[in-house]
Amino acid sequence: MDQRLLIVGINHRGAPVSVRERLAYAPDEITAALERLKAAAPALGEAALISTCNRVELIGVSSEAASAADAAIEFLAADRTIETSAFAPAIYRLEGRDAARHLFRVGASLDSMVVGEPQILGQLKLAYAQAAAAGTAGLILHRAFHKAFSVAKRVRKATLIGRGAVSVSSAAVALAGRIFDTLSDKTVLLMGAGRTAELTARHLRRRGVRSLVVTSRTLDHANRLAENLGATPVPFDAMVHQLELADIVIGSLTVSAPVLGPAEFEPVARARHYRPLFLIDLGVPRNFDERLNSLENVYLYDIDDLGAVATENRDERAREAGRAEAIVEVELESFMRWLDELGLVPAIKDIRLSIEELRDYELRRHRGWLASLEPVEQERVESLTRGLANKLFHRILRGLRQSSDGAGPDSLYTAELARRLLRAPSAGDPDEIVDSDSDPSDDFDSDDVENGDGEKK
Amino acid sequence: MSSNNLVWLVLAVASYAVATVCFFVARSPGRAQVGRLGSFALGAGALANAVDLVVRGVEAGNLPVANFAQSLPLLALLTAIAGLVLIVGFGIGLIGIFAAPIVCVAIVVALALMNPRRIVLPESLRSGWLPVHVTLALGGYALFVLAAGVSIVYLIYEYRLKSKRPAALMGGHVPSLEKLDRINYRLLLWGFIMLSLAIVSGAIWADATWGHFWSWEPQETWSLITWILYASLLESRLTAGWRGRRAATLTLVVVMVTLLLGSLVGLSLMHPGKHGGNFD
Repeated sequence: MDQRLLIVGINHRGAPVSVRERLAYAPDEITAALERLKAAAPALGEAALISTCNRVELIGVSSEAASAADAAIEFLAADRTIETSAFAPAIYRLEGRDAARHLFRVGASLDSMVVGEPQILGQLKLAYAQAAAAGTAGLILHRAFHKAFSVAKRVRKATLIGRGAVSVSSAAVALAGRIFDTLSDKTVLLMGAGRTAELTARHLRRRGVRSLVVTSRTLDHANRLAENLGATPVPFDAMVHQLELADIVIGSLTVSAPVLGPAEFEPVARARHYRPLFLIDLGVPRNFDERLNSLENVYLYDIDDLGAVATENRDERAREAGRAEAIVEVELESFMRWLDELGLVPAIKDIRLSIEELRDYELRRHRGWLASLEPVEQERVESLTRGLANKLFHRILRGLRQSSDGAGPDSLYTAELARRLLRAPSAGDPDEIVDSDSDPSDDFDSDDVENGDGEKK
Repeated sequence: MSSNNLVWLVLAVASYAVATVCFFVARSPGRAQVGRLGSFALGAGALANAVDLVVRGVEAGNLPVANFAQSLPLLALLTAIAGLVLIVGFGIGLIGIFAAPIVCVAIVVALALMNPRRIVLPESLRSGWLPVHVTLALGGYALFVLAAGVSIVYLIYEYRLKSKRPAALMGGHVPSLEKLDRINYRLLLWGFIMLSLAIVSGAIWADATWGHFWSWEPQETWSLITWILYASLLESRLTAGWRGRRAATLTLVVVMVTLLLGSLVGLSLMHPGKHGGNFD
């Protein structure tokens, strides 16, 4: 009867990509997979499946969490035709509070490879939508996911966890944004090839750079590079002219000495009318003479400078992560309280019903003399009994809430106890009272002397 | 008139002081939200400042600016408004730490120098030209002051980028160097246009009142020198391609010189004349 959240999964920490890729699902496969899971593991009352480059996780709700987790793992192995032993060491199984915490941390990007990266929230939303589409998201998963979304939002708002470029290429792009207001009217010159250089060029492209020009020692090479990036190739001897046109130059040539120094640049700067120039030197050995940085309107960052920016931002994120964890804990408390109270709902309903029945019963028993009262007095008796019933109910409710601040099972036990104590006299047979609706109340009147006494004032 | 006609100016100076403190506090890490409070205080100060001008303007029957000290509240108001536009509209929060203390000091000086008694404008100044001429001139100065502020922000940001310590620039809505340079240019351009119009309107007014356009009075001579300085500043940008650090430094120097010397000229003109005089 006690429904518990559970998570089984693997992520970038425990499982290498060779394992993650075998368990991963394409986005359009997930709804069907959830339907298969529903048939294969009936112990799972609710289920959702998250599959990203860095994690495959099954989130479920079950009253028998341990066996449901086993079933979920077996399902994953069978569904992806991979032997359990291949991923068993990397797998984590979380239940209850730990599972909820994990879900919230994933959503808040605290469990990501790059802490604070923004994609994970979208992926989590997708997983939720797919579970809803497959009909495997129920009351608890709805609430858990929505809570995870609101935690993520709060963390984004209250901390700087997503701030700052954390890679060399993104640091270069961020710096370009500090120098130039818009990139849409700018020209980028890429000299030479290299993974980081190409990545930076692509980044800049995505940020709206108008034209991308590439050059290399051999035109052949430049052509290939240009084709790769959708850029314009230019011969290497045209470099000086290109320097006059470019706003951002990425240097990634293999050289023994810098290809550009202050002396060579002076005429270029004049031809450029001293327009700002951002030099991104990704070459080792360096492509640009470091003295260029001291020239007017020239900003030169080499690979170490960019690396330092990225490292500083990563440190900043790590500091912010601590504050984010605190937010997760607070929200986790509120979610667990909701979950505990959810278990109490049937008992609370019964308690309310028992009290109401008791009141109805007493009112009916006395309807004979009540009918003889003035309407105003009848109203007074009505409100007196209603007040009494409500006070009793709220006192019980408050007691239950207080006990549920501690451990869940305690409050469940207390609620069950309260429910039993309040049950109608002929145990488990509230029908008797319902039957009495049709009975004349006279019987009771004569029965109950004590009440009879009370009436005569 | 009792001294309570300065109550709005006192309120304005208090708000500007609060704004100054807020803008400085907002510079320390994690306190950026205080900047918004600073903008509110600056706005409240501008409001009180404007109410003061209206109240005293109604008393005087015209813009209450008969001499240098009396023109300072209007200069402060125009600077505060333009500053708010830059802070809120263009996201240059750093401007607050220049604009707020400047307007604060301007009002304090005005309070110290101003005769609290009712301003009586001499017959010669009771003209529809007064608000036009004075607002244009002071508006131009307000824009120059802010251009200097933007230049300082530019130089700070540029220094951080050049010295490879850009971390403080990476978050939030920090304007790019290109944007700061463009705003600096626009402020100078509009300030220059307003100054030009102020000189032209002043000449027309002088001709209508005294029968001559120009009399080489110190204030007139000084405004011409100022005009030439700003014209060459703009010219260096347009033809010599001066921009960025060089343009920012030059703006700073020109604004400092014109403002400091201009104030001295203004102060020395607290004796009778077209642009000054104690009408006590």
